[in-house]
Amino acid sequence: MERHTLMADRNTYRLMLLIIGIVFAFLYIPISVLVALSFNEGGLPTAWTGFSVKWYGALWQNDEILQAARNTLFVAIFSTILSTILGSLLAVGVEIRRRNGKWLETIIFAPMIIPDIVLAIALLSFFSLLGVKMGLHTIIVSHVVFNLAFVCAVVRARLKNFDWAIVEASADLGASTITTLIRVILPVLMPAVLAGALLAFTLSVDEFIIAFFTAGAGRSSITLPMQIYAMIRFGVTPEINALATLVMAVSVVALALSQRLNRGGLPGQ
Amino acid sequence: MKTDRRPLVLISPALLWLFGLMVVPCLLILVVAFFRRGVYGGIEYTWTLENIALVFDPLYFGIFMKSAAIAGLAAGIACVLGYAAAYAIASMPRRHQPMLLFFAVLPFWSNYLVRSYAWIVLLNREGLIANLARWIGFDGELPKMLYTEPAVVIGLIYNYLPFVILSCYAPLSRLNPEIAEASRDLGASAWTTFRRITLPRTVVGIATGFVFVFVLSIGNFVTPALLGGGQFQMIGNLVYAQFLTANDWPFGAALSMVLIIIMLGLLLLQAVITERASGGKAYTDG
Amino acid sequence: MTYPLLSIQQVEKHFGNVSAVSGVTLDVQENEFFALLGASGSGKTTLLRMLAGFEALTAGDILLEGTSIAQLPPNRRPVNLMFQSYALFPHMNVAKNIAYGLEMDKLPKQEINAEVEKILDVVQLTQLAKRKPEQLSGGQRQRVALARALIKRPKVLLLDEPLGALDKKLRSDMQLELKRLQHEFGITFIMVTHDQEEALVMADRIAIMQDGGLLQVGTPNDIYERPQTRFAADFIGVMNFLPVTLSGDTLQAANGITITSTQTIDLPNGSAAVAAIRPERLHVDTQLDNNLAGDVVNIAYHGLDLLLHIKTTLSDKPIISRMTADVAERHCPTIGQQINLGWSAKDTRIFPA
Ligand SMILES: Nc1ncnc2c1ncn2[C@@H]1O[C@H](COP(=O)(O)OP(=O)(O)OP(=O)(O)O)[C@@H](O)[C@H]1O
Ligand SMILES: [Mg+2]
Repeated sequence: MERHTLMADRNTYRLMLLIIGIVFAFLYIPISVLVALSFNEGGLPTAWTGFSVKWYGALWQNDEILQAARNTLFVAIFSTILSTILGSLLAVGVEIRRRNGKWLETIIFAPMIIPDIVLAIALLSFFSLLGVKMGLHTIIVSHVVFNLAFVCAVVRARLKNFDWAIVEASADLGASTITTLIRVILPVLMPAVLAGALLAFTLSVDEFIIAFFTAGAGRSSITLPMQIYAMIRFGVTPEINALATLVMAVSVVALALSQRLNRGGLPGQ
Repeated sequence: MKTDRRPLVLISPALLWLFGLMVVPCLLILVVAFFRRGVYGGIEYTWTLENIALVFDPLYFGIFMKSAAIAGLAAGIACVLGYAAAYAIASMPRRHQPMLLFFAVLPFWSNYLVRSYAWIVLLNREGLIANLARWIGFDGELPKMLYTEPAVVIGLIYNYLPFVILSCYAPLSRLNPEIAEASRDLGASAWTTFRRITLPRTVVGIATGFVFVFVLSIGNFVTPALLGGGQFQMIGNLVYAQFLTANDWPFGAALSMVLIIIMLGLLLLQAVITERASGGKAYTDG
Repeated sequence: MTYPLLSIQQVEKHFGNVSAVSGVTLDVQENEFFALLGASGSGKTTLLRMLAGFEALTAGDILLEGTSIAQLPPNRRPVNLMFQSYALFPHMNVAKNIAYGLEMDKLPKQEINAEVEKILDVVQLTQLAKRKPEQLSGGQRQRVALARALIKRPKVLLLDEPLGALDKKLRSDMQLELKRLQHEFGITFIMVTHDQEEALVMADRIAIMQDGGLLQVGTPNDIYERPQTRFAADFIGVMNFLPVTLSGDTLQAANGITITSTQTIDLPNGSAAVAAIRPERLHVDTQLDNNLAGDVVNIAYHGLDLLLHIKTTLSDKPIISRMTADVAERHCPTIGQQINLGWSAKDTRIFPA
């Protein structure tokens, strides 16, 4: 007989199924409605007038959205590259040292739990006081702050069951530290590094608050989430439905891919 | 070999980054909070406690209390729902649990704004719920749903529920079923067993979930702005206004400082609770 | 002046306040097969890692052909280590793993390929050259690790429990194989092992380590037949210990029995000691210099031989006597039977109690 974690007789079991049903309905009905409406020809929730992808087509005509999408891509790519390099090196360094001070662990962990609003405010005042002109570049360096922590966490998880003897074996066979890093450590860690990069990319694409605070004035540095925020403040339109569906699909696919690459699970999960 | 300085080469770029763009800016907030506001906005560099005092002015303190109340309500309901869901998932056959958990967390991966927007679609005056009501023949005046406090609370719950499910599932899945069975064997009812055995062993998950939802909610400014429609303010909105519209940075910094202290205090508390609880881990590992 | 190939001089290693290796001095000659034998935690791995360059010395020096290598990093020492876990690179196939060391030496490609092919043939892995480590059996992995270290033709090859992960049958095959390769390559091997039998079978010389220090260094015959301490006697093979008291030239055991030995020990008259006799030196029902009666309490069958457990009045533990299979066939005692054990005076070793 199969062992259940929590003992359940028949009635309790039914109750449990009911609870799962209710919670899943709560979780999925809102986004499903959104997705369904994005394909509604009429675009309104009043009636289903037929399947259509015309609202997605409309997105292509919208220059503001396209510009925001380009900005988002730009930010995400550069912050991903930077944070993947910094985060992976950090992970390797921290795991080689093994015994790290508490303050070091805290500073590495902090960006993942520090509420966005706090970091956003802090960065905004920091940039303003220094007189840094804000724009896409400030969003990028700000995104690297939390992204590098996530990359580091993913890579470290992989390093936990990494056989450090192969690093010594490489040195023993005559390799310098750099050669060992490039030829042994990096290739073995590659799946985790890629998973971390993908995670960073998704987080950056989705991130709103920090981007909002550090983008500076003007339309030129608006990212997609900022664009969405501006649009939904003025109500519901079929275009937003389509855009929202698209954004959701991209993040879910990217994160699922990241998990698949890593097979280890994401940090904080 | 292990003790030389080589790792420093690897970790210092990232640490410098975190130091320059996280530690220093956060410390900066602490400093700015004690300066005076300039006449035309900006900062005048004289020390003062006025900003801190202003935070405790009834007007602003009321907003703090209100934010805390909303965050507490959202966190409380999310914990009840989340624990129930986690318990239900944990009582399903083992082989189905990973998949159920995966789908419980999946929405968490989608964009926060999109998830909030989904509720606008449901709740607005021309939204799905209004349409459904009309469709089943209700033609009175519907109560206003969007841009209300309950809408904000629902939005917060909706956004953070998956997190609570995860944090509650972790200790539940580690429970050794034999302990509960032993309790039944010794004559306890199912309810007593739950109350005396299961709940105490898994309350850590609830505490973690509560603290995180509370912390993320109290500083939230997106959900109140979108689902509250700017009708009422929470701390996040107030802070946002000081920095981006009212141009009173020192006060904004003072507000942030208090907010950060509350958040850090709670997160610390949570860490302590977790550490305490992990003392009894040997029992829960089935 | 000629130097020993490897000279370890007063080497010490402390981890905080743990002393892992203390005052080890040892010379290893060219072409020697040297075994480090010792109980768990005795410092074998630490000593080996100092030779390879993975642990800095707390004190002392290591000379290779008369020149100190103590300050050289591992990648610049003409010494290679075969790791206990094998430490194969999981992302490279067998051939790539083996070629790695030569690539580090910046040898031309053709030369590397030729060398790799040669050594693959020697360790009989040619068929598996394209496999990844995870697709290999334990014994195959072990041979890849060996080939990877050997191909560099180091002055000294260090092996940390190279056969530890193999099952018993494969182990004895590989023991011979390792010896053969050592001969063929003419390289000095220093091998760490837990297994005293393995050390006896394979090594030209053995060092027994205890608590970070060297207890005794010698040929297998020395170590087995002439252990210098009671610990060494107990650690290697099986040994019977009988408590005795010194009285003049003889040893006084319990019940007024006298034991004779050709060995002398520098202890005052009347002090307590132990007499030690190997099981194969105890002959059943044979009158020799020393004779002792006892009851057979157990017979353990080992294939090649039988071990008789005999309860005597001289010690609490039964005495163990070894009978070869052919002797046992002609004349095998049964449990409960009283027998007489005899042994020569030259086979009694004496240690302080
Ligand atoms: N990195 C280290 N830090 C602290 N102590 C250590 C370290 N490495 C080894 N030791 C200690 O040094 C002593 C010798 O360890 P070593 O690994 O050399 O023993 P060993 O003879 O190889 O044992 P085994 O047969 O179990 O492999 C042990 O007491 C061990 O705990
Ligand atoms: Mg060892």
